[in-house]
Amino acid sequence: MRRAALLTAALALAVPLALLAQDSTGAPPSGVRVGITYTPGTRASLAVLPVVSSVLDSARTILARDLDESDQFDLLQPPATVALRSGSPNYAALSALGTDLAVAIVPDSAVPSTVAVELHDVPRGVLRSRTRVALPRGTGTEAFREAVHRVADEIVQWATGSRGIAATTLLFVSGGHLWRVDPDGAGLLPVPSAGLPALSPAWSSDGRTIAYTAYVRSGQPIVLQDLATGHREALAGTEYGLNITPAFSRDGRYLAFAHGDENGTDLYRYDLARHCCLTRLTTGTYYDNLSPAWSPDGQRIAFISTRAGSPQLYVMSADGTGQEVLASFDFGRTGQTNAPEWSPDGQAVTFHREVAGTPQVFVEDVASKTLRQITGEGRNEDPTWAPDSRHLAFVSSRGGISRLWVVDLVTGRMRALAATVGGRLPAWSPRRTFFSEAP
Amino acid sequence: MTIRRWSVVAPAALLVAVSCRAPVPAIAPAPTAAESQAAADSAAAASLRRDSLGAAARRDSLAAAQADSLRLAAQTEARAESVQFQVGRPTTDTATGAVATGLSAAETALLGDRIHFAFDRSALSAEDQAKLDRKAQLLAAHPGLRIRIAGNCDARGSEEYNLALGERRAAAALRYLVAHGVAASRVDILSYGKERPIDRGHGEAAWAANRRDDFAAAGGGR
Repeated sequence: MRRAALLTAALALAVPLALLAQDSTGAPPSGVRVGITYTPGTRASLAVLPVVSSVLDSARTILARDLDESDQFDLLQPPATVALRSGSPNYAALSALGTDLAVAIVPDSAVPSTVAVELHDVPRGVLRSRTRVALPRGTGTEAFREAVHRVADEIVQWATGSRGIAATTLLFVSGGHLWRVDPDGAGLLPVPSAGLPALSPAWSSDGRTIAYTAYVRSGQPIVLQDLATGHREALAGTEYGLNITPAFSRDGRYLAFAHGDENGTDLYRYDLARHCCLTRLTTGTYYDNLSPAWSPDGQRIAFISTRAGSPQLYVMSADGTGQEVLASFDFGRTGQTNAPEWSPDGQAVTFHREVAGTPQVFVEDVASKTLRQITGEGRNEDPTWAPDSRHLAFVSSRGGISRLWVVDLVTGRMRALAATVGGRLPAWSPRRTFFSEAP
Repeated sequence: MTIRRWSVVAPAALLVAVSCRAPVPAIAPAPTAAESQAAADSAAAASLRRDSLGAAARRDSLAAAQADSLRLAAQTEARAESVQFQVGRPTTDTATGAVATGLSAAETALLGDRIHFAFDRSALSAEDQAKLDRKAQLLAAHPGLRIRIAGNCDARGSEEYNLALGERRAAAALRYLVAHGVAASRVDILSYGKERPIDRGHGEAAWAANRRDDFAAAGGGR
């Protein structure tokens, strides 16, 4: 009796723990691991020290949010008493607050508008890294926020060995137009584009060119747009018919896309380097092949096909040979699977798959073919990888309003980009973009 | 008969097709400078307002940010509505906005009579085929008439997959018409996926209404 009571208690404890980092309220398909396993308490605690001027406080606010949203640290809120004017931080006071890392923004008395940003190892009482940065005038400007985002990314690199993702951009579609927003939800701006609607924006890996489907008078071509010059051109061979879901190979040599006409929709590959040579990658009569996603080594392309009836995820060599199922499915039972994107580190593919008729975001480990269902509340679709292969942005209807959300796959933390109401088809930029090079 | 679609011109050649021509097609102009500036201004203003908030206030300002973004979204929608849709826009009579087809009102209604599809399907029902038979007769009676078929989907499926599905739906009607004597060169097809619902509601009635092919005169007549 007592043992049974204990067992019940243990089960009662175990179930909520198992669900801790899980988003789902719906039942997952069998054989799929739901949610995210995360052991708290393993991250360094970090404090961004209070500062003494309003300009620096604007920088500190952006910096602290970027570091928080890197999901690499437990952010502390240090009291004003540990503000740093010069010299070393008060390591003893910070240590008493449980601080592992302290970030200080120190004004440079010799060069106004230039600051030094320092990362301190509090337990050891030493300065770990230091950089100087010129802060552009106007704390609300894109340039100011961009400069601070870059500092945040450098601090993440100092602390973890891999660069942060604050100085990146998300492109998305709203009202048929292209928009951009920073991953912290600020900096919402339209991106002038051809066609109405413009759909499915995709980035070149150098961050200078985007491709998208444009509905124009002559048809639905793939448009290549240079973000620096604004120059646009339709991809040769896409003048007629439906041309959708463009994807650049990482080396920038190829653009893969789907072309649809009365015979079905199939995948093609255009040689951007030679400005020619359209190669057909799939052949299907009256069924669809679309949504190509390059592996970062350029060797393989994941894609969606309806060859077995409903749309499901397949993979092939970049020349179209060796086509096989990538995400296993039960014929007639597994929900429609769409919108794949290969992670920048090559290890995983994300996509959305319908569970009980509602799309949910999944991540598949390519080597083991293990599936993880990431979401469960509302519609969740069109996931896109951050350059750190750790965060995803996706469209979610949770809360009753459809907009972009970001999830950290390690901690399971989810946050809305509040200003992106109605946004869809997001595409997360690489680390360097034309936008981040702009003055 | 002339078929303008390049993939039909040489499907086999496309296996390793070479297309070294310089890209030429006309692309619709970007939004006007005034439109872009207005949108940029309002976005910048919203951005400034958000940035001027303190860190603590920022976390509490979700409602304000939502209001901002909703207004932005509304402005975007309004602009989208106000710009004439640029796809396959028919040759229009500038005075009336109608295509100069020479069709009677009854014939125009017959041409525009929509056909509908089952969920995730592009097969034609017997009822659809009967409607298409009447359209084929209409096209036979007006040898100069050209039409455009636009495939559409309901709101449930994936955005990009629905573009392919809509194309398949338009293609199904095209193939039927061609099999019944209509020259393929007289019919253009395109897909809007789920971009252009005619019923924005939820539930089977709305979904069924949106799973459709739209038909419109694209020129000619008589």
